Amino acid sequence: MKNVTDSFVSLGHWPSAGSFGFNTDILATNPINLSVVLGVLIFFGKGVLSDLLDNRKQRILNTIRNSEELRGGAIEQLEKARSRLRKVETEAEQFRVNGYSEIEREKLNLINSTYKTLEQLENYKNETIQFEQQRAINQVRQRVFQQALRGALGTLNSCLNNELHLRTISANIGMLGTMKEITD
Amino acid sequence: MNVLSCSINTLKGLYDISGVEVGQHFYWQIGGFQVHGQVLITSWVVIAILLGSATIAVRNPQTIPTGGQNFFEYVLEFIRDVSKTQIGEEYGPWVPFIGTMFLFIFVSNWSGALLPWKIIQLPHGELAAPTNDINTTVALALLTSVAYFYAGLTKRGLGYFGKYIQPTPILLPINILEDFTKPLSLSFRLFGNILADELVVVVLVSLVPLVVPIPVMLLGLFTSGIQALIFATLAAAYIGESMEGHH
Repeated sequence: MKNVTDSFVSLGHWPSAGSFGFNTDILATNPINLSVVLGVLIFFGKGVLSDLLDNRKQRILNTIRNSEELRGGAIEQLEKARSRLRKVETEAEQFRVNGYSEIEREKLNLINSTYKTLEQLENYKNETIQFEQQRAINQVRQRVFQQALRGALGTLNSCLNNELHLRTISANIGMLGTMKEITD
Repeated sequence: MNVLSCSINTLKGLYDISGVEVGQHFYWQIGGFQVHGQVLITSWVVIAILLGSATIAVRNPQTIPTGGQNFFEYVLEFIRDVSKTQIGEEYGPWVPFIGTMFLFIFVSNWSGALLPWKIIQLPHGELAAPTNDINTTVALALLTSVAYFYAGLTKRGLGYFGKYIQPTPILLPINILEDFTKPLSLSFRLFGNILADELVVVVLVSLVPLVVPIPVMLLGLFTSGIQALIFATLAAAYIGESMEGHH
C-alpha cells in the first residue's frame, strides 16, 4: 500500500497496478483526440448518412405510394368488372325469362294454328264427302229418272193407239165438263 | 531503504510510461481456465450496445421507417446484400450469422477506436476493442469454419467431401490445408489489423499527445470498418463456396 501511495506521490497519475480506478491523465487517456475524431466523424458522416436514410425513406414512400395506386386501380377495375358481371347476369336472366315466355307463346300459337288447320281440313273433308255424296245421289237420280223416262217413252210408244187416244180425250173432256159444272 | 524503494518505484513508473503495454492481461480464473477479463468486459459492452440499440430501434415499428428504425433497416439491407452476393439464392438462413459477425466486429472495432476505454483503469492490462485479442478473432474464425462445414454438409450431405478431390485428386492435400488456413488467415488478419491500428495510435499518443494521432485514428476507423466488412464477406464467401455444387 505504501508503495502504491509512493508511486502516486512520485508520479501523480500513474498507478502501476492494483485495483480498478479512473485514469485522470488527459493526455494519456486521449479524450481530446477522440472527441475531435468523433466530431469529424459526426460532421462528415451525418450528411452522408442522413442523405442515405432520406433516400431510402423516399424510396420506401414511393414504393408504398405506387403500390397504393396500383391497389386502388385494381380495386376500381375489380368493382367495374363486378358491376359489368352483375349487369350481364341480369340481362342473361331477362333473356332467359323472355326466351321461355317466347317459346311458350310460340308453342301455344303453333298448337292453335295447327288445331285450326286441322279443323279446316276436317271441314273440307266433310264438305267434300257431302259434295261427292250429293253428286253421286244426283247422278243416281238422273240415271233412274232417265231410265224411267225411257221406260215411260217405250211404254208410251208401244201402247199408244187410236182407241186409247180417243178414250183419254173423252175422259179428259168428261173431266173438264164436270169441272165446268162444279165451277158453275 | 525508503529512498531505494522510492527510486525503484520511480523507475517503474518511468518504465510504465515508456513501455507500451502489449500482452498484459487482466486474468480471471473461471473453472480451470484463465480468461482475459478486459476482453470479456468490452465484449459485454459491445453486446449491450448492439442489443440495446436494436431493441430501441424495433420497439415501435412503423410502416414508413424513420430515424433509428430506418437506419437499422438500412444496415439489415446492407447485410442481406452482402450475403446475397456472396452466398447466392439460398442466402436467407445465413443472414443472421453474417449479420452477427459483421455487426459484432464492426461495433467492436469502432468501440476500440472511438470510446475512451483508457479512462477506466484495470489492475492489469487495459480495456480495448475485443477484436484486439487473438482469442476473440480465433473464436469468430472457428465459428465461421463450423458454419461453412455445417452449410456444406446439410446442403450436399457426404457429397460435400467430394470437393476435396476437385478438380483433380492431386490437389487433395492443398484442399485439406485450406480448411486450416481459412480460419487462420481470417483470425490473424482481423487481429493484426486491429492490434496494429491501436498500437500505432497508442505509440503516437505517447509521443505526440495532440493533433498528430488524429489522421491515424481516422485511418483506423476506416480500416476497422473495412476489416469488419472483409470478415463478413469472406465468411459468406466460404459458406457460399461450400454450398455450391461443382457440376
